[in-house]
Amino acid sequence: MTTISLKFSSAIQSKKSMPYLLILPAIIVILGVVLVPLLFSFYTSFTPFKLTKPDSLFVFIGFKNYIRIFSDMAFWEAFGRTVLFLAVVINLEFLLGLGIALMINKITHGQRVLRTIMMFPMMFSPILVGFQFKFIFNDNIGILNNALQSLGVTDQAIAWLVDRWLAFGAISFAEIWMSTSIFAILLLAGLFSMPQEPLEAAQVDGCNSWQIFKHITLPFIMPFAFIAMTIRSLDVARAYDIVDVMTGGGPAGRTELLWTMIARTGFDNANMGRANAMAYVSIILSILFTYYFFRKIIAARKAMGGDA
Amino acid sequence: MNIKQKLMCTIATGLIATLGMSQMTFAAGEFDGQTLRVKFIGGAQYEPLYALIPAWEEATGAKVEILSRKNHFELDREIKQDIASGLVDWCVGSNHTSFAPQYGDLYIDLNGLVSEDVLADFVPNALASSTVNGRLVQLPRHSDVSNLYYIKSLFEDDDNKKDFKAEYGYDLLPPETWVQVKDQAIFFADPPNFYGTQFVGKDEAITGRFYEMLRAEGGSIFDAEGRPVFNSAAGVRALSWFVDLYESKAVPAGVPNYLWDDTGLGFASGTVALNLDWAGWASFFNDPANSKIAGDIGIIRAPKGSAGIRTGWSGSHTFSITKTCETPEVAVSLIEFLTNYDAQMTEARTGLLPTRSVVWDDVVTEFKAADNAFMVDIFKTYKLSMAEDAFTVPLIPEWIEVSNALWPNLQAAMIGDKTVQEALDDAADLATEILEDAGKL
Repeated sequence: MTTISLKFSSAIQSKKSMPYLLILPAIIVILGVVLVPLLFSFYTSFTPFKLTKPDSLFVFIGFKNYIRIFSDMAFWEAFGRTVLFLAVVINLEFLLGLGIALMINKITHGQRVLRTIMMFPMMFSPILVGFQFKFIFNDNIGILNNALQSLGVTDQAIAWLVDRWLAFGAISFAEIWMSTSIFAILLLAGLFSMPQEPLEAAQVDGCNSWQIFKHITLPFIMPFAFIAMTIRSLDVARAYDIVDVMTGGGPAGRTELLWTMIARTGFDNANMGRANAMAYVSIILSILFTYYFFRKIIAARKAMGGDA
Repeated sequence: MNIKQKLMCTIATGLIATLGMSQMTFAAGEFDGQTLRVKFIGGAQYEPLYALIPAWEEATGAKVEILSRKNHFELDREIKQDIASGLVDWCVGSNHTSFAPQYGDLYIDLNGLVSEDVLADFVPNALASSTVNGRLVQLPRHSDVSNLYYIKSLFEDDDNKKDFKAEYGYDLLPPETWVQVKDQAIFFADPPNFYGTQFVGKDEAITGRFYEMLRAEGGSIFDAEGRPVFNSAAGVRALSWFVDLYESKAVPAGVPNYLWDDTGLGFASGTVALNLDWAGWASFFNDPANSKIAGDIGIIRAPKGSAGIRTGWSGSHTFSITKTCETPEVAVSLIEFLTNYDAQMTEARTGLLPTRSVVWDDVVTEFKAADNAFMVDIFKTYKLSMAEDAFTVPLIPEWIEVSNALWPNLQAAMIGDKTVQEALDDAADLATEILEDAGKL
């Protein structure tokens, strides 16, 4: 017994084990806060767990939830639409954020004020943003249709939130309005940290503005862009509130995203078991996007001569 | 509201507040030191009632700790999570007749806890809707039912009368049937500047509108064995009413996305001729500061369908007491207070429909004294409607889930993604699956 105690004592005091011991509390906390809920929700995806019937948590139904999901066209339509939404929103936010960052970077006076103003949309709650755009896009009393009709652009009441593609555009617009500044801030940080020597050398060599941007500025800030894309691809689920308020995923599922579908299934219908199964299928999407962006970050850093 | 009306209301409010204290039936300080944890519905129209709570606290010695003040859908989610986690550490919750059945045995039966004398003062229909499987799981606070608002001047215009008669062969009068509403809506419509009517088009809102039209057409959601039968001929007629109006552009193109605020603000903007809506909007519609049609509004009972039945989808906002509440006698005292005469008069003055019989008469008397003929008409119409036309949704736990299967299909028919029959058949298949999963079929 004494020998074992001594061995254990010397093991925990060894130089090799000390770092692990020091981070052990953090590991335990992370396991408790992240892993346990993940495992629990994964388990519930194999049950008919209903929030209003806690006993259903202990009924095992195998892959029934997954089988239903895989044969549900509405789910796959929402899955595809979510991929499209992510692609459209993140790319447009990147382009607009890049443009804003480049313009603000050129300003010599009032830059701080502009940076603060630029962040205003981020400060709004997504629910508020949803209501704001719901009324802007209202076909009858909305400001947009009234403006278009008053200006003589159209004599029709355009159903912004009903037509399949207009509704998709409307929810994308609201999301882009709210979150473009995240890209702008991160890209601006990249521009601030950029050394001036390569730019000056390029100017001396006779490069024009486009060539400087394409071959020096853009490659330099791409790691920042991919970090922003990774963050946004995970954070874009905040759009749930916007979509829920503006269209509720409708009409007839035309703007249904995975998040609106999962929330309705899990909370309104109380089918948390099936909702968790949907969430686990949709996690594949998050993993794919994250993996893709990390590959891009590594490639961009290599291109800039950094370590992978 | 003119100065005289405001003065009368202020005097009446003061009198009621003073008298209110004397009408409390509990002994002073009898709940000293007790704290009630509650979860209430929040929102502008619900908050004035909570301003009365300090009076109850002062009289009883108890304290009310409000844990949540959310809209009903968010509150519903929170309550479901409480049930799932087994952490129901609160006593009183806001409830709704449409939501109550899904909560199982979360709430106690108030029969026997609330005295029969108190219950006798409530509208029997409201108590019946609050009863699930023979258990009175909620005490009704105020009720909802919709009636038809219309712009009066449109029906008084001689050219309109002449043209309508020439086109449809009968006189232009406030409609008695939904077929007449359709004719008139198409007649008045001049999109995109003016629309004949409108309706809420998503969530449980369109389910409810379809459901009441289905009943008015002689159909029902479920048969005697609980099987979905809304894809019947009556169901097709009911849904076709919405689809026909949408296709004829007599309603705004955005209605599949409309909820109550859209229809309310739309009617107040003066761009819609006929509007089926709650009484809660009445004051807003007739307020010149908010409405372009103030002073030009008529109200009639909801029209009839082809079965001779008036639409009357109804529900009540209520209060319930959890089975885990350790001080149910304190909780009963609070919910009785929040639904007593004074509390209901406070809410009725804003247009919310009371659940106590005598309040219906007294609030009309008050509006008459204030020369507010419009609100007198409103309450007389809604009283009749609540007494004779109102019916609740099927009180089954699966209702919300069935509704969530139904409304996207109703929308699909409206916007042309499916035919009316296809939409109803698809929804019926989904509803059947839900009920089979629940072991009901």
